[in-house]
Amino acid sequence: MATHEIFMPALSSTMTEGKIVEWLKKPGERVERGESVLVVESDKADMDVEAFQEGFLAAVLMEAGSTAPVGETIGLIVETEAEIAAAKAAAPAPAAAAAAPAAAAAKPAPVAAAPAPAPQAPAPVAAPAPVAPVAPPAVATDGRVVATPRARKLAAQLGVALASVRGSGPNGRIQAEDVEQATGQPVSVPRVAEGTAPAMAAPAGNGSAAAPAAPAGQAFGRAGETVAFNTLQQAVVRNMNASLAVPCFHVGYTITTDRLDAFYKQVKAKGVTMTALLAKAVGVTLARHPQLNASASDAGMAYPAAINVAVAVAMDDGGLITPVLAAADRTDLYALSRQWADLVARSRSKQLKPEEYTTGTFTLSNLGMFGVDRFDAILPPGTGAILAVAASRPVVAALKDGSIAVRRQMQVNLTADHRVIYGTHAAAFLKDLAQLIETSPESLVL
Amino acid sequence: MASNIPAILFEAAAPVPFPLAWEWQRQLQRRRLEDLSAPDAALLLQHTPCYTLGRGASLGHLGFDPARPPLPLHRIDRGGEVTHHLPGQLVLYPVLDLQRHGGDLHFYLRALEDVVLAVLQELGLAGERIEGLTGVWLEGRKLAAIGVGARRWISQHGLALNVDCPLEGFGAIVPCGLAGRPVGRLVDWRPCLTPEQVAPLLLAAFECRFGLALRPPGPQEGLAGLGEG
Repeated sequence: MATHEIFMPALSSTMTEGKIVEWLKKPGERVERGESVLVVESDKADMDVEAFQEGFLAAVLMEAGSTAPVGETIGLIVETEAEIAAAKAAAPAPAAAAAAPAAAAAKPAPVAAAPAPAPQAPAPVAAPAPVAPVAPPAVATDGRVVATPRARKLAAQLGVALASVRGSGPNGRIQAEDVEQATGQPVSVPRVAEGTAPAMAAPAGNGSAAAPAAPAGQAFGRAGETVAFNTLQQAVVRNMNASLAVPCFHVGYTITTDRLDAFYKQVKAKGVTMTALLAKAVGVTLARHPQLNASASDAGMAYPAAINVAVAVAMDDGGLITPVLAAADRTDLYALSRQWADLVARSRSKQLKPEEYTTGTFTLSNLGMFGVDRFDAILPPGTGAILAVAASRPVVAALKDGSIAVRRQMQVNLTADHRVIYGTHAAAFLKDLAQLIETSPESLVL
Repeated sequence: MASNIPAILFEAAAPVPFPLAWEWQRQLQRRRLEDLSAPDAALLLQHTPCYTLGRGASLGHLGFDPARPPLPLHRIDRGGEVTHHLPGQLVLYPVLDLQRHGGDLHFYLRALEDVVLAVLQELGLAGERIEGLTGVWLEGRKLAAIGVGARRWISQHGLALNVDCPLEGFGAIVPCGLAGRPVGRLVDWRPCLTPEQVAPLLLAAFECRFGLALRPPGPQEGLAGLGEG
C-alpha cells in the first residue's frame, strides 16, 4: 500500500507558484505511468504534469483554477483501487479556486549552525519510536498499520513509529492528529489548504482556534514539555557532536558590497539569486585556493575532485539540509540559480537524492536576510571549512585616502579545520574572495 | 556559431487553417516523445483568420458569443488568453526539447521575446518587454504575442508577429486579456514591409538565439498535408 503525492512542479527557476489549469484525470480514474494528469500554467506557458507511478488518482487537493506554491502537494495517487477511499478520506478538502494563495512560496530559511548532511526522509515503517506509546496500539488489520497518507508523512517527519499510535479514525485508522498527539507536538506542517503559511511562521496548532498571540520564532514543543528529536534533528545532533573532535578556528573579513549589490540588481530579473552569486564567488575563489576545499582524513589531507558548494537550509519541521551546487566554479551563474531553485523546492518536498545533499566540499551559511551582522558556523563533518555570511549594511567607512563615505559592507566569518587549513590559507582565501566581490562581481557571469 | 544543432524547418506556402497546423505540431511533438534523439523542429507559417484561447483562458475577453464566433474559435493547449491569427501575421511554432535549451519555461518565453526583439533591431526598431506582460511591444503597442505549451519539456505553440495584417479582428477581443493595451503591426513603422521580407530575419534570429541550424525536412520527415517546400 502506498500513496504517492503529486507536487506543483518547478517549471522555471523564477517560478514560485503555478496555476492549475485543468485536471485531465478525475479522482478515481486509472493513471498510467507517464500519462498526463494535469496541466499547470505559469506566465504564458503550460506544462502537462505526468504521473511518475501507475495507479489511481485518489484525490485532487487543489481544484482547477487555484494556485499553489512550487513543491506543494496538489494530488494523490494510490496503487490500488481499494486505497482510493482511504486516501480520499484522509485528504483535506480541496482548496477552492477563490482561496488561491497569492503569497510567494515559502522558502526554507538558511541557517547559521553547521548543517547536518541528513539522511533521506525515512520510510515510515523504519522510523524509530522515541515516544512511549500513550495508548493501546493501532488496530492492525492483517498485521498492517492503517494510517492516512498525511499521518504517515507526519510520522516519518516526526520520527514516530506508527505501530505505537492509536488511531481515532474509522476502523482505528491513524489520523494526522493522532500522530500529533502521540508526540505532544503541534503539527508544524502546513495543511495543503493553507499552503501559504510562511516557512518560519509559528507552528501554531492547527486545531487550536483560540490560540493566544502566536510566537514569532519557531519552536518544536510547547512550554513545559520535552520533545524527542526527530530523525532530521538527530542527524544534526550527531554531526554537531562530531564537530567537537575537530580543532577549528575562525577568521573574519569585512567585504564592501556596493558593486555586488548593483550587479545583483541587474541580473536579478534574469533569475539570478544572491545565493547563487555567493556560491559562484566562493566556487571561483576556491578554485584558486584548493587548500580551503580540502579536508582531514585518516590517510591525510583529502583534495576533492570537484568544488561542490553546499548551502545550509533550515527545514520547516526541524533539522538542516545542505543542498549542493556541484562544480560551482565551472557552472554558469544562470544554471546555478536554476539549480538552486530546484534544489530548494525539492528539499522542501523531501525529494533530494542523497548525493544532492551529502557531497558538499565547502559550505556556505547565510543569515544576511535576517539582518544578522556577524555569526560563526560549526564545521560540517568531512569538510575543511564553512563560511558564515552576515547581512550587508550601509556603514560609515573611512577610505584609504582619509575621506569618509557610506558603503555597504558585510562580515564573513570562516570556520576552518586547523589540521588542514592554516591561518594564512584562510586569510589569503578571504582576501581574494573580498577582492572578487568588491572589484569584479560582473566576472561571475562569464 | 559553428556548433549549431541541426533542426528541421517546415514552411507553408499558403495560409494554413489553425487545426491543421496544430495537428502538425502534435505530430512533431509525438515524434520527439517517441524518439528522444529526433531533431528539434519549427513551423513557420501564416494562419487563415481565427481566434484561439489558451487552456485556462477566460471567455470574458471575447467580444462575441463563443457559441457564434465571427471566425473559427479554438481552445488549445497553450498558456495565455485569447488571441487572433490571420494572414499577414508570421507564426513561428518551435517544437524543441526544452531540456536541451535550459529546461526553464520562463527562460524560454524570454528567449522567444529575444527572437522578436532581434528582428525589430534588424529593422532599426527598439522593441521592448513589459515586465509581467509576456510579448514584444513597440511604443506601447503589442507587436508579438507569445504562448507556449509543453509536454515532457517538448514545446509547441510559440510566437505570432504582426507584419502587415489588418488589425480590425483584434477589436472583437481583449487580446491576451490586456484591456487598454493596443495591438500594433510592423507595417505601421516600416511601410511596405511584407511577411516574406520578415520571415528570413525571424528565422535567422531564431537560429541564432537557440543555437540551431535550420534545414528542410528530409524525405522521411514530412508532415501529412504539408506540401513540398
